[in-house]
Amino acid sequence: MESETPLSELILLVADGDRRALRSIYQRESTRLFGIANAVLRDRDAAADAVHDAFVRIAARAGQYDQTRGVASAWLGAIVRYAALDIARARGREIPSDDPALGDSAIAPEAIELLDAKAEGARLRACLLTLEERIRNGILLAFVHGLSHAEVAAKLGEPLGTVKSWIRRGLLRLRECLA
Amino acid sequence: MSATAMTPEERQALAAEYVLGTLDAATVRMVALAAALDPVLADEIADWEMALAPLQDLATPEAPPPELWDRIAGTLEPAAAPLPARRKASWFWPAWSFGATVVAGSLAAILLVRPPAPAERMMTVLLSSRDQPAWVVEADRAGLRLAALNPRAAPADRAMQLWALPQGATAPTSLGLIPRESGEVRVSASQIRPEPGMLIEITLEPPGGSPTGRPTGPVLFIGRLSPATGT
Repeated sequence: MESETPLSELILLVADGDRRALRSIYQRESTRLFGIANAVLRDRDAAADAVHDAFVRIAARAGQYDQTRGVASAWLGAIVRYAALDIARARGREIPSDDPALGDSAIAPEAIELLDAKAEGARLRACLLTLEERIRNGILLAFVHGLSHAEVAAKLGEPLGTVKSWIRRGLLRLRECLA
Repeated sequence: MSATAMTPEERQALAAEYVLGTLDAATVRMVALAAALDPVLADEIADWEMALAPLQDLATPEAPPPELWDRIAGTLEPAAAPLPARRKASWFWPAWSFGATVVAGSLAAILLVRPPAPAERMMTVLLSSRDQPAWVVEADRAGLRLAALNPRAAPADRAMQLWALPQGATAPTSLGLIPRESGEVRVSASQIRPEPGMLIEITLEPPGGSPTGRPTGPVLFIGRLSPATGT
């Protein structure tokens, strides 16, 4: 019945050194997590490296997981995304910058409707929609596709400093909206 | 960048950009380090992670290569061993995974990469009795500087006093009281000559400091200077 064990309990088991629990997490989550890494890196080999690194971190850090600070799947996803970003940074993030598939349309407007599937996602989407479209796109390109400030600026055809302050203001507005 | 030098706005923006992923590698290291020592910053980061987590669902799920689990399991063997050494420095890891020892090592690493690196730089993190990092001490032959990582003041009717005990010495030397406001102390080489292995401690004393010239109250925080260049 392991598929019925909540992820958060599996993480607690991993903290006790239970390798089978880690494998259960992998079996249940690896498709979603690999998707997160691959969205950042757009390179299956590099994405596999990121998921590998992330699971090593999950094994080591499971004891740090705090259920009061968010759902387990988000915790796992954040570790994978950080691992992917580390790899992107180590590569100078050259991968995404000239990817023609990554235009402003990379995240189609309907895509953020995916957020409505969950209550907290719907709330975030409503707040994202209060932002100017290019700022919203900048935030999404950075979070989902791992673009740096400079790459977002290149995509949007705006000066780096402008984009930095847009994104910063956009984030702070999001926070106010979510509060 | 020290955790205490950040304004609330900077802290918030840094936490947000850390989670968004737009910061460069050097800044990420500094934020991760600062968060390890600054629970308020760590909380900000956790809040942002929670706020932006729904965006994870915008990535298209995709099956990983079939051999990936075996590779992960191979890295984690033998099961009982702690984390294997990795290619990349462990300070890329999100902050709260650090133990105090690793924090001290990370600080040393940061000092190392901070250009230009003056020779004979030393540092230590003073830990509380519960091993929480509380103060950072940086030193070189010219003197020593204490800064608060998590600002905390002594009780109103008490003062915190800084001491140094050179290796082999039998009595510590007072480096003065810690100002309640700034939590920062600078000591010149004429007062103390920092050297590796020197013990640095903070004790709780009567207002105005120890009347005897020796510590009279409990040791609140303690650490030992070590070269910032070795790992």
